[in-house]
Amino acid sequence: MSTKTPSAPAEAQELAKKVPRLSGSKKLFRKVEPYIWIAPSIILMAIFIVTPIVKVFQLSMSKVTRAGLVKGYNNFENFTNVLKSPAFSLVLKNTIVWTIAVVVISTVLGFMLALVLNNKFRGRKVARAIVVFPWATTLVIQASAWNFIINKDYGTLNTLLMKIGLISAPVNWTPTPGAYFAWEIACGIFVTIPFVTFCVLSGLQSIDASYYEAATVDGAGYFQKLFSITLPLVKSSLTVATVLNIIYVFNSFPIIWTMTKGDPANHTDTLVTYLYKLAFYNGKQGEASAVSVIGFLILLVCASVYMIYTLRKGDDDL
Amino acid sequence: MSQPANAVKKPVSIKKGILRLLLYFVVLDVCVITLYPYFAMLCTALKNRVEIFSGGTILPIVPLWSNFIDIWSRAPMAKYMLNSVLIAGGSTIIAMLCGIPAAYALARMKFKGQTAFLGFVIVSQMFAPVVLLIGIYQVMQKLGLTDNILGLIFINAAFNQAFTIWLLRGTFMGISAEMEQAATIDGCTRVQSMMKVLLPVAAPGIVTTLIFIFINAWNEYTVALCLISTDTFKPLTVGINTFNGYNMIEWQYLFAASIFAIIPVVILFMCIEKNLVSGLASGGVKG
Repeated sequence: MSTKTPSAPAEAQELAKKVPRLSGSKKLFRKVEPYIWIAPSIILMAIFIVTPIVKVFQLSMSKVTRAGLVKGYNNFENFTNVLKSPAFSLVLKNTIVWTIAVVVISTVLGFMLALVLNNKFRGRKVARAIVVFPWATTLVIQASAWNFIINKDYGTLNTLLMKIGLISAPVNWTPTPGAYFAWEIACGIFVTIPFVTFCVLSGLQSIDASYYEAATVDGAGYFQKLFSITLPLVKSSLTVATVLNIIYVFNSFPIIWTMTKGDPANHTDTLVTYLYKLAFYNGKQGEASAVSVIGFLILLVCASVYMIYTLRKGDDDL
Repeated sequence: MSQPANAVKKPVSIKKGILRLLLYFVVLDVCVITLYPYFAMLCTALKNRVEIFSGGTILPIVPLWSNFIDIWSRAPMAKYMLNSVLIAGGSTIIAMLCGIPAAYALARMKFKGQTAFLGFVIVSQMFAPVVLLIGIYQVMQKLGLTDNILGLIFINAAFNQAFTIWLLRGTFMGISAEMEQAATIDGCTRVQSMMKVLLPVAAPGIVTTLIFIFINAWNEYTVALCLISTDTFKPLTVGINTFNGYNMIEWQYLFAASIFAIIPVVILFMCIEKNLVSGLASGGVKG
């Protein structure tokens, strides 16, 4: 196939094999062709993701009027204003508590649920279909349902517990903002578990059963098998699930917005609900953008870990 | 092989029976807890106001099916539904039209900046629309797309690109390129070989991706809440809050409408659950 003489350098020969008998213009086309293929995607993301990112960074460093007009660089005043405000430290604390509590608890519970569902039993398919429900339901609706269930006066949790006889009078499940926040976390965990479960399940199903058989023959117990076979082999599924979860949960808006709107007085606010109120209720777009940027920086650490991990994994089979 | 297995099996059969019982107990509990909110929603959707606010009952005394009919006249539910379908459908089409070629290029070609592009795709997942809302709002203002369904379609399509490309790239890479090469030798262009050879084989992966984007766009709430102000342009997720007023919540209508919003998605999701997860969890390496 090669058009080059045998004496040509190996590199050129290699190249010639890949693009046999091509004229100059065709060669050029081959070079630009991939970029044509990715162009629509790049244009779409450039307009609707990259431009907003640039805008947010620009606004975070500018003086912005209530009408959204940019009045020039203001020496990081937005950042200092945000960091100085007493609400911010509370909001940041809430965000960290929210993210860690939801991710950690749902990862542990989701992992255990996956181990349970990985057993063969009658009705397994039905059980798996049911477990997927919270994942598929939009968060607004899920949050409204929980808001109704835990209501002190007419919520069905009180009714249910009274019918069973566990309590004799209605319990106020949300006496303090902290308690309300805990319920929001519970709701967050509830909707996050299915994602973890299914990621782990897919990892579990790819494990060859012969490992377990061999371990059983060697006399390994259940926990020995769990820690020396199962965990190492689902580690990669679990890592991807966890990192994606950190990003989703950190940026999760609908649950808190539906249940409390961050009230009272920022006690249940996280960064995203806080910045939404700053931007669209208080007209402080500059400061809201600063909050966004602070959020990015926190997430950047997580995302870079994820990117390094997945790209390295991807390179292996390129 | 079979003998030692049997030898181990016998003495633990009682223990095994107990474990089995425990397993069913756990599974049953999980299912009950998972379904409880839906059960509560359905029961509430079938009650009248007085019954809901006086509490004390779980099941409705007399199921009031008319709530499911009333919602269509009490709010522009049909409009919300149509908007949701348009937004989810439109986003899916655009995301696929942009995503398929990109995923194809990543899976089948080598070019400079490939890793950078892939890196950008992954990092873009970090920027949820919520954090960018201020920027998105400004871009939409410039394009004249605030309070416009088309704006939501583009936003949803863009923010689902990462998933689309990631899942499809994995699917394409899991399929051998030999058939396409053969087609090329037979005189097919790249586009033809992709359309006629690759896409039919990749159909399961494509359907999974398609449904997943559709569900994501259908369930999207935050951007719609922020961009749409005209009632008749709202999708279901935002529109159902008509029943969630400042002074009182019409729980029965809110939940009746919610059930209409949930059902199509749950059905779709159950169809793809198996394929989707294997694509996500393996980091998109396999389809």
